[in-house]
Amino acid sequence: MAVRTIEVRERVMARNDELAAGVRRRLAQHRVPTFNLVSSPGSGKTTLLERTLQDLGQELRIAVVTGDVQTQNDADRLAARTEHLVQAVVTGGACHLDARQVQTALDVVDLAATDLLFIENVGNLVCPASWDLGETAKIVLFAVTEGEDKPAKYPKMFQQSRYAVFTKIDLLPYVPFDIARAEAIARGVHGALTFFRTSARSSEGLEDWYAFLRNQVRDARAR
Amino acid sequence: MHEMSLALEVCAIAERHVPRDQLANIIEVGLEVGDAAGVEADSLEFWLETLLTSPPFKAARPVIARVTGDVLRVSYLEVDDGRPDD
Repeated sequence: MAVRTIEVRERVMARNDELAAGVRRRLAQHRVPTFNLVSSPGSGKTTLLERTLQDLGQELRIAVVTGDVQTQNDADRLAARTEHLVQAVVTGGACHLDARQVQTALDVVDLAATDLLFIENVGNLVCPASWDLGETAKIVLFAVTEGEDKPAKYPKMFQQSRYAVFTKIDLLPYVPFDIARAEAIARGVHGALTFFRTSARSSEGLEDWYAFLRNQVRDARAR
Repeated sequence: MHEMSLALEVCAIAERHVPRDQLANIIEVGLEVGDAAGVEADSLEFWLETLLTSPPFKAARPVIARVTGDVLRVSYLEVDDGRPDD
């Protein structure tokens, strides 16, 4: 029998990365800083976005793409807080968003009328780390109700993220969570991480978060 | 689930390199999986074994080379054209 070998040498993520590069070019053309929020389920991505839309929504035109395995509950919650677009992607079983889904979602977002875009990824600390969506940066959320060693257990997610946002810090008096230790563990896997400490409930730390977002929009416009 | 998505990408790559009517003739799919690729090689292999024996494939076998680094790529495809050797 005649067996022939085809040399392929193609990265498995090549197609996704190509699409992500296209998304990145499109966002750059419109100067829209875009943040891909990643975390385990229940860390407070939707709640942080609700507060952000409520407090910055008059000042910045913020659009959101949300990804959920099932339901568009998160999108509905966020849509109640903004006049701007919240686009839901139901992944139907997949554990992460991919660049094609974001590309399709962006077809209905008016980027010319958007200052800032959030992508709320599927709650999962593993898979979303591998998929580039064309974002400016990944931001990992880390609730103080989780274990301090999460970054050591899920290093890839913390390595791929440029920023880490502690959430629910109003609960610190009630939980055995040492935030300094958690930061040290996170720095152990990614030394250049920038941290925020927030509570969407008590508002603590939100001003720093908002100042960061305003700066990102200002810098993008200056480019 | 992550590995299933990756396995589907591997199948898509095979479909781009081999004409549709010859996909059933693929007998081997060679991959390189790095230890820092964030991929569970056994799980990926399991999904590939399932997908590569289902249409449009027929009896292809994944062969995974475990390497260092974050590489994750399809290195080769082996196709049996079914013709007798010259």
